[in-house]
Amino acid sequence: MKTKRTKLEIIRDLLDTLQKNRKVKITHLIYKANLSNNSIKPYLEELLRNGLMEQFFEDEQRLFKITSKGNEFLMEYSKIKVFSESFGL
Amino acid sequence: MEWTLVLGRFYGIDTFIEFLTILVSLSVSFYSFRVYKLIKDKHYKWFSLAFLLLGISFIFKILSNITFLHKFEVQEANFVFTFMSHLKSMEIVNFFSFVFYKTFHLIGFLLLFLILSKNEERNKNILFFYLSLIVVLFSIYFNFVFHITLVFILIYLTLYFYENYKKVENINAFLVFMSFLIILTSHLFFIFSDVNTLFYLFGEVLLLIGFMCLLTNQIRLKIKSKKVLKSK
Repeated sequence: MKTKRTKLEIIRDLLDTLQKNRKVKITHLIYKANLSNNSIKPYLEELLRNGLMEQFFEDEQRLFKITSKGNEFLMEYSKIKVFSESFGL
Repeated sequence: MEWTLVLGRFYGIDTFIEFLTILVSLSVSFYSFRVYKLIKDKHYKWFSLAFLLLGISFIFKILSNITFLHKFEVQEANFVFTFMSHLKSMEIVNFFSFVFYKTFHLIGFLLLFLILSKNEERNKNILFFYLSLIVVLFSIYFNFVFHITLVFILIYLTLYFYENYKKVENINAFLVFMSFLIILTSHLFFIFSDVNTLFYLFGEVLLLIGFMCLLTNQIRLKIKSKKVLKSK
């Protein structure tokens, strides 16, 4: 049985999707990160607030792209995961 | 007239141990703050602060151990008497450094306890801070109260890290659990340090081993991140 993803893992999945695609629609993020329309909202807000991704509009469509800080997070992800796991944070 | 700098007990071995523990504490604090800067999770910020306080506390511990000895000789007939005396102003520095060491050390571990017990209730936190203040005040005057309080906090932290190790089952979590178990044992020795200085020495050696386990954890993290970067 698969265990429930942690907040850190969900953020990784979202940023991973953004890194692989230059610009991403919200529906694509929902699908790739395996989240519902409602459950994705707090994550998107947090990622935008923390500057890990940014939103822009193209043909009146809301799109997202990863920032350099987001890329830095993905590079550090495995280390952060081990760090937080080892201290149970 | 000659001045001698004494770095601590046992030829300054304890000062050397404390210097290493400062480096380890600051390394954990620095990395935790880096994670906080990336994901803005307040747990990492407080965790960083807790280890920063522990690091600072050891700086004060070193200061509390440093003594300047004033050596002078007096000649009487065919005998030369050598006297050693403490510098008066250093006694004040030593006393206040020891007070700050105890205060920062206790607050550091209490903060860790608060973060890991994940207590979000404000009313309970106010009571917790009040009781902490009482404990800090008593610890300043009674050495054993300081160590016994730390033993109780460390028992909780060790059990928490043991449960965490059972949950995640990796070497890093085991190292953290072992580290806190050894630090707990070191404080059990420190309780009796006023009875015999050997207890103090054992405590210091165990403290070093405990913090070395934490350092190993930090080194393993660094190696892991390098491996990941190479594989990309």
